[in-house]
Amino acid sequence: MSEVAFGRLKSKKRSNRTTNIITLVVVVFFACLVLFPIWWIFRTSLMTNAEIYKFPPSLIPENWLFSNYEKTLKVFKFWKYLCNTMVIIVPSCLAGTFTATLCGYAFARLRFRGKQLIWALCIGSMLLPTMVTLIPLYIGWTRGLGIHDSYLPLILPYFCGGGAFNIFLIRQFIMSIPRELDQAATIDGAGYLRILFSIIIPAIKPAMIVVALFIFIGLWNDLLQQMIYINTSDKYTIALGLTNFRGQLKSDWSLTMAATCLSFAPGVIFYLVGQKYFVEGITMTGIKS
Amino acid sequence: METFNKPRQRRSRIYSSEARVAYICLIPAFLGLIFLTYLPLLGVLGISMTNWTGLTKPEFIGLHNYIKIFTTDPYIKESIIATIYFAILSVVGSMIYSLFIAILLNRKIPARGFFRAVFYVPFVLPAAAIYVGWSWLYEANFGFFNYLLSEIGLNKVLFIADSRYVVPSLSLISVWLAGNLIVIFLAGLQNVPVVYHEAAEMDGANGWKRFRHITLPSISPIIFYNLLMSLIANLQVVTPALSLTNGGPGNSSRFMTYLMYDQAFVNYKLGYACATTFIIFAILAGFTAVLFKTSNRWIFSEGGDDK
Repeated sequence: MSEVAFGRLKSKKRSNRTTNIITLVVVVFFACLVLFPIWWIFRTSLMTNAEIYKFPPSLIPENWLFSNYEKTLKVFKFWKYLCNTMVIIVPSCLAGTFTATLCGYAFARLRFRGKQLIWALCIGSMLLPTMVTLIPLYIGWTRGLGIHDSYLPLILPYFCGGGAFNIFLIRQFIMSIPRELDQAATIDGAGYLRILFSIIIPAIKPAMIVVALFIFIGLWNDLLQQMIYINTSDKYTIALGLTNFRGQLKSDWSLTMAATCLSFAPGVIFYLVGQKYFVEGITMTGIKS
Repeated sequence: METFNKPRQRRSRIYSSEARVAYICLIPAFLGLIFLTYLPLLGVLGISMTNWTGLTKPEFIGLHNYIKIFTTDPYIKESIIATIYFAILSVVGSMIYSLFIAILLNRKIPARGFFRAVFYVPFVLPAAAIYVGWSWLYEANFGFFNYLLSEIGLNKVLFIADSRYVVPSLSLISVWLAGNLIVIFLAGLQNVPVVYHEAAEMDGANGWKRFRHITLPSISPIIFYNLLMSLIANLQVVTPALSLTNGGPGNSSRFMTYLMYDQAFVNYKLGYACATTFIIFAILAGFTAVLFKTSNRWIFSEGGDDK
């Protein structure tokens, strides 16, 4: 290596270090911006109403009034709402992930008549916005099947493949697994389902967790369908309960924010638990889509 | 395939047992495609040609609903404009924001996993709670944003109670929620071969040039994917209107999906609402088609590498 080139490399290293420090500063700044609203909501939930309206507002509450949460829990039936939400989410995640895996496996590995056509229909439905089918489905559930004020219309669709997008993810993921593995198993006499359960499923766990997370987030965020299908307040989910609670307590911001923070918690916990798999999974799947 | 040079008889038997397993595996997808996707899609079209209110027997009225929407509906025009306005602001904002953050996170910085998690967090919070929480930040007198404005000497703004500001204010929330795009962009950036950058650097290309001619083309399929997904999602926006604004003030946040909800589930005009649905669907399909049409012009694909 010539002297000049060596010098350039050294200066490049130094300039790299400064740009990395600048990058870090910018990233920290933006991370603070992103977290700030959450902090602001949280700190409000710990304040008295007098403190909230103080000017200038303080960033950190004077006394951390966790008693606000006790008060909130008396009027905001968080645990009940959480249970109700879980009654919807748990079977949906399990069934959606499982059926998406079955379908993804069939599309990725098995040969059968009509595969092209069914796959095309599947992909086509991916581009179909969910709101388009909302009214006919509502009519189908309530008029056709006579199901009113029930979680079934929210849960049962996930027993049907968990959505085309999730089937697509699983298929892509299975296709990236070397076929030699299942061929070896075939020679050992394993059937197709045996291969699915003993070879494919262990290998695609990260993708399955991503699918479960997507279903979780989808249901978690979906206020519209819950509003349509659930009528009685006993059956309210967190999203419905909170929307309703805010309507009742328009001006009591500290209690409203306490209820908001409570509603944030399960999602954050679920994410922190699944994060490792999630990032791993999306890094692998995001590329192929 | 070359392992299958066995007698034809045997091969077809294997094939049929394979197909049987496949069909069993696909039962859920069949049910879903028929009953949850394609039949309802036909249903929308059928119901949209009736005057069904849910109480009386539906009567066939042809294209009457569509004509009514285009001639006398008081909301549809404002609704379409509000939705497209919201979608453009949100999509452009979140694409720039997420690509920018992803590029930063792609550099060698400590605790990258932690920061990635931080930027992703808003995405896992329940949407209804997010809007309630942000409504406090946007509050007219004591909200944080108005405090900021007063600090820099500006007048107070009624962010979500002012028809001029409500859509941009809601778009800011949806940009904030774009953590999923960051994760996908980051995954794409990590797949850009380092050798390209090194080679270009040898040739004396500066940072911007390398970004423009190497990074951008390499991740163009990911850009397309993110653009498509966020466009479809943002054009269907409904939660802020449901949980916060009820379409107001005035009709400034009466987004299309909210309009449909209002017609169908508040006013029980099911036939009319289905016609609205179909028009929304056409608009969404139009946007998607344009995106696909223009995509081959700017998506760079690595020729033979595609399977």
